[in-house]
Amino acid sequence: MTAVTAVTAQQAEEWLIEKIAHRLGVPTGEVSREVYFDELDLDSTEALILAGEMENWLGFELSTTTLWYHPTIKDLASYIAEESAQRAAAA
Amino acid sequence: MRPLPDARPAVAHEFKSARPGGRTVCVVHPGALAPRVYRGLAEALPEDDGLTVLDLGAVPEYAEAALTGGRAATTVEALSERLLAALRPAHRVHTLAGWSFGGVLALAMVHAMPAERRPERLVLLDSIAPVDGYKQPDEALDPALLLDWFAMYLGAKRQRDIEVTRDTLSGRGTDDGLVAVLDAAVAAGALPADTPLPGLRKLYDTYVDGLLRNNRLTAPHRPEPAPLPLLLVKAERSLVPGDATLGWPSLAAHGLTVRGCPGDHYTMLSRPDSLDVIVPLLTAS
Repeated sequence: MTAVTAVTAQQAEEWLIEKIAHRLGVPTGEVSREVYFDELDLDSTEALILAGEMENWLGFELSTTTLWYHPTIKDLASYIAEESAQRAAAA
Repeated sequence: MRPLPDARPAVAHEFKSARPGGRTVCVVHPGALAPRVYRGLAEALPEDDGLTVLDLGAVPEYAEAALTGGRAATTVEALSERLLAALRPAHRVHTLAGWSFGGVLALAMVHAMPAERRPERLVLLDSIAPVDGYKQPDEALDPALLLDWFAMYLGAKRQRDIEVTRDTLSGRGTDDGLVAVLDAAVAAGALPADTPLPGLRKLYDTYVDGLLRNNRLTAPHRPEPAPLPLLLVKAERSLVPGDATLGWPSLAAHGLTVRGCPGDHYTMLSRPDSLDVIVPLLTAS
């Protein structure tokens, strides 16, 4: 997908929760939007694979350090929405 | 992951303290694998001997370079000073070892140490010497070579043997080669069957940026020959399998001994049959 239409924070949250729940093998309801990524049972390999999949979905690249500076699903989704809106406006 | 300031671990990991009369082995670890890969080594050392691992992954200017394009704003010399500072003065190191790029740092540390603090031996664990002829410009790193190393790395991370060879990757570009690595990794059970290719590409790019960072740090580094004998342990499936000495003879003014061990560049650190070879070499009197 090319993000000509901006991704909202809610869409980003839903996407992240679905992917993380799938990787962990748990229902989506068990993944909190407030949880720190390093508290999830994802290793660095899985985190980078998830980041690459997310970039492909968004249609733009995220710095690998993005997860450090936006360390929860809620924070990251908010950042993605801002970044996506800026890119959509500039397109 | 939490923000960086909360997440930064210590540089020196003391896996095991030496008892009175025991010796301390210190290993310089350049990241890629988590430092816990040395647990098996700590357990395999003689009871009285200690193990400290110096983790470059805990040095921000080094670690973050792998996440931001592979250019570190530091030097081998500055990193070696940083590692020496992390060693407690009370730590009298009997053997200093360095795995992979850690061997380059270990030699730089020896040069930076006062003579009275130098270890008795320097052990290079499948490390490529920082000498002309073994330094490669970035563009010389062929995709088949990088993909082969990446598959080896991924297999070690997942404790699976990913059956893809440099020959099967030869002539393929990165995108095509990554498909072969993904297929082999899924077949080996190293990755879930639904792992997306863009996800693996992100992992690969970060891995390669880490290699490029080390390559770029090594390029301007011009070490003097070692002031003590060198012992090179070369993995059966080394990064440079056809090379007997990995370039160390010109830095071995006091002699070079080469030993082989089972495993590949990554699994040599944890395989019991490899540790059976490595431990006696680290602890010899």
